[in-house]
Amino acid sequence: MADLIQLAVLLAVGYFVGSRIEKKHYRSIKEREKKLLGCAVVTGDDFLEDRPVRTSRLVSGSAVISSDYFKMIVGNLLNFFGGEVSVFESLLDRARREAILRMKEEAPAADIILNLRIETSTIAGKNSCEALAYGTAVYYEK
Amino acid sequence: MKYTPKDLEENVNVSPQSPLRTFSIAFAKTLAVLVIIYFIIGALVDLIAPRVSVGTEKKIGALIDAAFKDRKQTEQELRLQSILDPLAKGDPALPGFDYKVYVQENQQVNAVALPAGNIVVFSGLIKEVKSENEMAMVLAHELGHFRHHDHLRGMGRQLLLLLLVSFFSGGDSSSQSIVLPSITTMQMRFSQKQEQAADQYGVDLLNKTYGHAAGATDFFVKMSKKDDWPKFMYFFSTHPYPASRIQAITERIQEKGYLAGKVEPLWIAKKE
Repeated sequence: MADLIQLAVLLAVGYFVGSRIEKKHYRSIKEREKKLLGCAVVTGDDFLEDRPVRTSRLVSGSAVISSDYFKMIVGNLLNFFGGEVSVFESLLDRARREAILRMKEEAPAADIILNLRIETSTIAGKNSCEALAYGTAVYYEK
Repeated sequence: MKYTPKDLEENVNVSPQSPLRTFSIAFAKTLAVLVIIYFIIGALVDLIAPRVSVGTEKKIGALIDAAFKDRKQTEQELRLQSILDPLAKGDPALPGFDYKVYVQENQQVNAVALPAGNIVVFSGLIKEVKSENEMAMVLAHELGHFRHHDHLRGMGRQLLLLLLVSFFSGGDSSSQSIVLPSITTMQMRFSQKQEQAADQYGVDLLNKTYGHAAGATDFFVKMSKKDDWPKFMYFFSTHPYPASRIQAITERIQEKGYLAGKVEPLWIAKKE
């Protein structure tokens, strides 16, 4: 009985706090994405204009997002049966978008960021994930 | 190539399904699998338990009740033993243990059957019980646990389930945290069934030994008066709701046409 109550409390706290934090994070992500829309990022290198380049440098941004207790439990249950682990999708989505945003914020004045790459890894067992975004920021001669 | 910024409104990378829905479906599936496994294991254990020899059960019991091994019985315990002996002789189908009763200083109003023939009565129970018949019912109930091999059945389930849980979860504690409470709850349902079965056995044996079933419900009536748990809490308890126990025993008495005789007062030293 005590076990069940403990589990229910942990699940409820995990769910409510976790989804509040997630909603807040998404609001911030969307807002900053709009603000930085002008900062161009592409995955290729053929967007370079035929203009003299003043400087270019490596820019990177990384974000570590943790799962909550609710997601962890649901993820584990889903692991048993297989299939889409939808609860972790938002986690990775947030990590990737946050990483790209941080990379952009590192070079807000860049004319374009070329060759964007994203890498992910797990941290602290499998309860957190890291997304690392990096690319080459290019500044043209004015 | 010219770069034109575009604002993305929708997100294809995150499923629109609500996490609560995902959880409910996954939980229901897990529970279904657990219930199926639990019943298969339960059936297997129930099949094997009665076939375990008395000697093996004694060996298993020796691991648990070493505290009472070869202890000399006190006067109070010998008095209880004199109630137990005729009961134990009354059923030839009981496993051939050396049935002994011991008293433990404990305020809880309870008695337990340890594996392999030892019954421990708490001093709190002796204070409550007023008649010999009432005490005989408690002891006969405990004999019912031996008759039904409840220790082996309980332990067998627990053991196999724990094995299974750690096997499936690979020692991962977070999935165990959801699987174990579910199993414990099922275990409680099983335990309640065992208690009901021991009650039925107890009233039968009481009637067989005393020629009537007087005093069969006395103890549970006392329990239900003391009881301050709401009924739904009994879903998670090892023992059934006292009122349902009284009802089940009364029904058994009526069904079998047991006589209502007179209860004998219990002459016993209340304190050593």
